[in-house]
Amino acid sequence: MQIVETKELTKRYGASTVVNQVSLSVPEGSVYGFIGPNGAGKSTTMKMLLGLVKPSGGEIHLLGKQMNERNRLELLRQTGSLIESPSCYGHLTGEENLQIVAELKNVPKKDIDRVLEIVELTDSRKRQVKQYSLGMRQRLGIAQALLGNPKLLILDEPTNGLDPSGIQQMRSLIRDMPNRCGATVLISSHLLSEMEQMVDWVGIINHGQLLFQGELAALRQHSQGDISLRVLCPEKALPILGKLAKPDREPGAFRLPAMREDSLAELVRRLSVEAGVVELNRHTKSLEEIFLSLTGEESK
Amino acid sequence: MLLRCIRAENRKLRRSPIWLLFLAVPAISAVYGTFNYKMNLEILTHGWYDLWTQYTLFYAIFFFAPLIGVYAAYLWRLEHRGHNWNLIMTAPVRPFCLYFAKFCVVTKMAILTQLWLLVLFVMGGKFGAKLPGFPPPEIVLWLLRGIIGGLAIIALQLLLSMVIHNFALPVQIALGGSVAGLLAVSKDAGLYWPYSLMIMGMNSNRTEDVMAGGIWGFFLSCAVFLTVFLLIANVTLTKRDVKA
Repeated sequence: MQIVETKELTKRYGASTVVNQVSLSVPEGSVYGFIGPNGAGKSTTMKMLLGLVKPSGGEIHLLGKQMNERNRLELLRQTGSLIESPSCYGHLTGEENLQIVAELKNVPKKDIDRVLEIVELTDSRKRQVKQYSLGMRQRLGIAQALLGNPKLLILDEPTNGLDPSGIQQMRSLIRDMPNRCGATVLISSHLLSEMEQMVDWVGIINHGQLLFQGELAALRQHSQGDISLRVLCPEKALPILGKLAKPDREPGAFRLPAMREDSLAELVRRLSVEAGVVELNRHTKSLEEIFLSLTGEESK
Repeated sequence: MLLRCIRAENRKLRRSPIWLLFLAVPAISAVYGTFNYKMNLEILTHGWYDLWTQYTLFYAIFFFAPLIGVYAAYLWRLEHRGHNWNLIMTAPVRPFCLYFAKFCVVTKMAILTQLWLLVLFVMGGKFGAKLPGFPPPEIVLWLLRGIIGGLAIIALQLLLSMVIHNFALPVQIALGGSVAGLLAVSKDAGLYWPYSLMIMGMNSNRTEDVMAGGIWGFFLSCAVFLTVFLLIANVTLTKRDVKA
């Protein structure tokens, strides 16, 4: 089942289209990374999923139901969220902040102990939030989202502003959510490198348009890059390589475009016999490079 | 659902600096009123009634609406800072309940403020002005009417602070509205201006009841303004995108 499904979801502000016919599909039990540069339309999309922003067009299905004004509250009861930055009242303690959300969600007070334990804030529960570090505030925000054991968690850039150790803590916390809490997680970030260790599904958005959506493994398939080759007798290699190859900087070196593995094996077999292969390298793009090439930010 | 929202709002007022203002503003009116009364004993000869005119002179005309404005702006500042409004608006409660819970909490604070003024009035009369006996019962009625007249101001100030993401501007509007309200009352047009209703309800700066024989017009005006402001708030909350 798809926990989140949008059909041609669109948001326009005047003449500007900030989300353009986005069709998201988030499978149950997954950690789905919604990735794109700043201003790509991630937050607006997430706000539309939560009913904070009214769509200009398209449909939203959450937890198998089409979202509308009548069932919005019922769907929100099963959804936890953290949008834009940790939402807390600084003059209150961590526990009092959670009591406010528990009251609004109509969740028993004992659930506060459970979520504090998950985010490892039990010892700081009586401290005023203004004394918390940013990482602690982010974890308190996650705890607020977890109250009531939601089936879906929508987290907008929860690693923003965190130091490397904070990111590491947040990463392990979120990666465990499906197993620990049974929740599907939709998480946004502008950095693929931050996401690749915690998500199993990826959606890449830029200028309001969804450029890629699928399993992380499928994104990795885009990573096959050029092949570089060096032979002993380049003049004998040229007729075999034909127009495929471009001479590289070193003598006897060529650069070939990405190709299927069986084709490459056959090519190497013939070259070994005729021209003597001394070096063969397959370049792979990092996920960051794929992301940049998909979003067209490579040259910037 | 509404009770849960009210409980959540009440929690936000813990350790809040707003309670200092709650204590200080009526106290300033009381000190000023008692001092002024004692300085003008030769012309203020009606005892408790004249003391009331001095207490309400500044309290009802200049202090009450801005104080309500501060209460409302404070409750909204808590939401506008740190994107709290996003969190609250994704709670499974109707948006209007969230607004109406704030309305109930500010009304509670307005009632407490009026009660605090009553305590100060009795203390100021007995120990400051050394008046004999106790205040006339009409004073309690005028305080109650002040609250009813203040309901429209509460709804309006909450609406302004919800839309204007600024602490000071809605408070300044309340002050301007009060001054305009005084002018409206002096021109017998108080029923047509929301900020005048509290001044009229409190029988501010008068010894005789300004609404003797005309109380229903006052209640009708309060009800109309209150309904209009609540409706606008509901439409704003349900039709507009949330801007935290």
